[in-house]
Amino acid sequence: MPPDRSMSRRDFLRQGALLTGALAAGLPEALSLLHPKAAEGAIMGIGQELRDVLNEETVNRILQEALARGGDAADLFAEQRFRTSFVLDAGKIDSVTYGYPRGAGVRVVLRNQTGYAFSDELTYNSILDAARIASSIVETPGRANPIDVTRRSPASPFALVNPEPLLLETAKLDVLQRMDTAARAADPRIVSVRIEYVDEVREVLIGTSEGIYIIDRQYLTSIACTPVAQASGKRASGLATLGGRVDAEYFARVSPEDAAKAAALQAVRLLDAGPAPAGPMPVVVAPGWGGVLVHESLGHALEADGIRRGTSLLSGLQGTRIASPLVRVVDDARWPNGRGSYAMDDEGTPGQRTVAVDGGVLQSYLLDKQNGWLLAQRSTGNGRRQSYRNWPLPRMSNTYIDNGTSDPASLLNGITKGFYAAELGGGSVETTSGNFNFAVREGYWIENGRVTRPVRGAVLVGNSLETMQRIEGIGNDLKVETTRGTCGKDGQQVPVGVGQPTVRFSSIAVGGSSI
Amino acid sequence: MPRQLANDLADKIRVQAERSGAQEAETYLETNTTTEVRIRQGQIELVSQSAVQGLGLRVFRDRRMGFLYTTDLRDTVLTELVNRTLNLTNMATPREENKLSEYLSSSQSDLEIYDPIVAQQRPEDLVRLARAAEESAFAQDKRIQTTRDVRCVTSVYEVFFSNTYIARGTYRATSVSLSATPIATQGTQRREGTYIDRKRFLSDLARPEQIGSRAVERALARLGAGPIPSARVPVVFSAEAAGVFLQGLFPALSALNAIEQRSFLAGKIGQVIASPNVTIIDDGTMRRGLGTRYFDGEGVQTHRTVLVDRGVLRQYLHTAATARRMNATPTGNGIRSYDSLPTVGPTNFYIDAVSKTHPVTEDVVQGLYVTGLAGFGVDIVSGVYSQQVDGRWIEKGVLGKPVEGVTVAGKLDEMLLGIDAVGRDLDFRNNVVSPTIRFKELTVGGGA
Repeated sequence: MPPDRSMSRRDFLRQGALLTGALAAGLPEALSLLHPKAAEGAIMGIGQELRDVLNEETVNRILQEALARGGDAADLFAEQRFRTSFVLDAGKIDSVTYGYPRGAGVRVVLRNQTGYAFSDELTYNSILDAARIASSIVETPGRANPIDVTRRSPASPFALVNPEPLLLETAKLDVLQRMDTAARAADPRIVSVRIEYVDEVREVLIGTSEGIYIIDRQYLTSIACTPVAQASGKRASGLATLGGRVDAEYFARVSPEDAAKAAALQAVRLLDAGPAPAGPMPVVVAPGWGGVLVHESLGHALEADGIRRGTSLLSGLQGTRIASPLVRVVDDARWPNGRGSYAMDDEGTPGQRTVAVDGGVLQSYLLDKQNGWLLAQRSTGNGRRQSYRNWPLPRMSNTYIDNGTSDPASLLNGITKGFYAAELGGGSVETTSGNFNFAVREGYWIENGRVTRPVRGAVLVGNSLETMQRIEGIGNDLKVETTRGTCGKDGQQVPVGVGQPTVRFSSIAVGGSSI
Repeated sequence: MPRQLANDLADKIRVQAERSGAQEAETYLETNTTTEVRIRQGQIELVSQSAVQGLGLRVFRDRRMGFLYTTDLRDTVLTELVNRTLNLTNMATPREENKLSEYLSSSQSDLEIYDPIVAQQRPEDLVRLARAAEESAFAQDKRIQTTRDVRCVTSVYEVFFSNTYIARGTYRATSVSLSATPIATQGTQRREGTYIDRKRFLSDLARPEQIGSRAVERALARLGAGPIPSARVPVVFSAEAAGVFLQGLFPALSALNAIEQRSFLAGKIGQVIASPNVTIIDDGTMRRGLGTRYFDGEGVQTHRTVLVDRGVLRQYLHTAATARRMNATPTGNGIRSYDSLPTVGPTNFYIDAVSKTHPVTEDVVQGLYVTGLAGFGVDIVSGVYSQQVDGRWIEKGVLGKPVEGVTVAGKLDEMLLGIDAVGRDLDFRNNVVSPTIRFKELTVGGGA
């Protein structure tokens, strides 16, 4: 089947490559570092474009097969990714990897029921087989209408000139080596540095029985640097992350050396940290990655699958006050360069900015299509999946507590004894009960309104509704962390962003060892 | 993909890599057929069927290593990818240990990891199992009005391995799991409980009725739970919680982390690191074990390794490369899938049960019995431990008031030395498991 070339991605990319050349005149080093394969049609010059395998007519036929037994809706999700990864450990480039996974999945939806099947082989016949298997969810056959998909273009939330994953491998390795050197040089107590790098170019093609045919390319870069400090029998690690959906110019704005050095100094600081306190006390959480807290405490409970099933503690609470009146929670798929940003979600719905909570009142859930239909609400563009092997779930994009009005420093005022969470680790939640936790990697005592001695890591625990009522101050220093979040749910991992300004809680249970 | 075709492909691609300039090459081709059904309120919510076929290729040149993985097995694409990967390999640092295994395991007896009955299950069979588990959950107690869902999954996978020295190695394996998550409601409080069983053989799987009723017991036990004040008390981890704890501890026993000073157990071989009650074993050869396999991801025969023998650290777990770096015997723990490089991972990894019955909760005057652990508070570099827990308060040896919203914390080195009782209730429903264990004293961080 000959591809329709009138508005094909190939043309677009060629223009993109020319544009790159013109713009790069002022950035000679960027041009010389760009991967020659990037200028070719298929991702990194491998295989073929998805469009050449699955044009509109092919997609129509597959979707018709998927709905041949009946069903409310069907979609086809084809994907190919090109990944490059490196591990630099103990100053050596330990592993160099290319990954090229690709395949397609077909979903058939009948009310709350889902049939799903996928194929690792991107051929018409194997995808047609997947469509037949997915359709077997329909036990009482109905009538299928003809399908006629129309091409649409997703609107990018931000422009990337030379996406970072298209850089030459030597340029990527140079960044890692600079980080390694900087981390080691930061302090003689640094005994080990591991740096992991992975990037990907992801091409996605979605066809739906509602008539959408849409293709998108997404770029993502992740770098994690973990130095370990050791002195007098004690060890501690630091962490720096870089990346996001960024282009070559990113490293002109962000210094890899500074990030690596900061991670090394964090490890050294933590060597001397005392035990964290135990028990409930006032807690102030630093801006940025501190947004793990809202991601766990409210974000997951806002996702529409738990709402539709009635298993989330926020089911039926739309329009109700669920948090302190100071709290506005936003999920924004269009945040610049965010790991959780996208032009369209994995169901072809445009990514959007959703105000989920405003003035402490629950305004909107985070919806995918199927749960939206069941709740009689529109998708908010939060239907995401890990890959073509997975069906979509309602997921967060970049989720944050919006800016407040307080001067961040003033939020420490009046706390005689409390806990300052300078940097968080990961967190988790059970959405039925609302019991959640988040780890603190770097914490400090607050004594008489001042941040004082460093303490070792600890988890902090709370219940969503109680904790969000206890917010008694929000700073005006919003920061969204765009470089490090990966969210897991139901076995599917997706990149996300989180954020917040400085936030003060009247009380959270701190899980240290010192009573 | 037919087995002969997969075998031939694994060989062919390896030979192609060698002809294109790899001094050594290794292919790891994996096929996996998974069927999953989810039932909720008696209705089918999901039926998913999938067939995975993926290839991983490691190439070595002048002791530099490169890696490639793909699901696109067409000739032209593979040729291009192999050539590019060989070029990429030139950028890696040469390392003495970058060398493939030269011999595959001698033939082992049947480890019983493949059950043809599991391979024959159709979606409707899984639906029947899941429905039975859910019905039994609803029948237990009128406070169970809903479930998050009940899931049944079968998986049939096969590995085709080939390297420059080993002509061919292959094995296939099955697994089946059934899990139920009922939700108990009392007033405005809702709490869920999950029970999951997973086995290699269908005939070993717990009956659906048992799975449903055990999950209900867990959900009901949490109703009315609340925080307790901070205290330093004896803390008992139920077998399941102890298994989760052991999973968090695992990376501390990885030889790579020990070499690179990323483990609090680095440099402690031969030293007492735990109480004499504690023996920790990794056994890749256990019959019907969920972590059992004939050889690991780099063709090394699996072993039974005693890591901690009555409190003494005997050794770490290895990939072929870490064994070379430490001049140790490989342990067959190069765990991977087609899309990842072998890294030190567990096979069947467990704290051994004690041989004779010893009271674990019965002689605790006041303490905490932990049934659930959550949170990213296990730092194996610094050895600092802190996690969110659920459980029951122990009063004079009896389980009492349900507890939640609290934490337990300690230092891992002191915690291991302070394990003063180990139970007999080892149950291999996972590949990382433990019997019930008791810590002499931990800090319980009270809730707000």
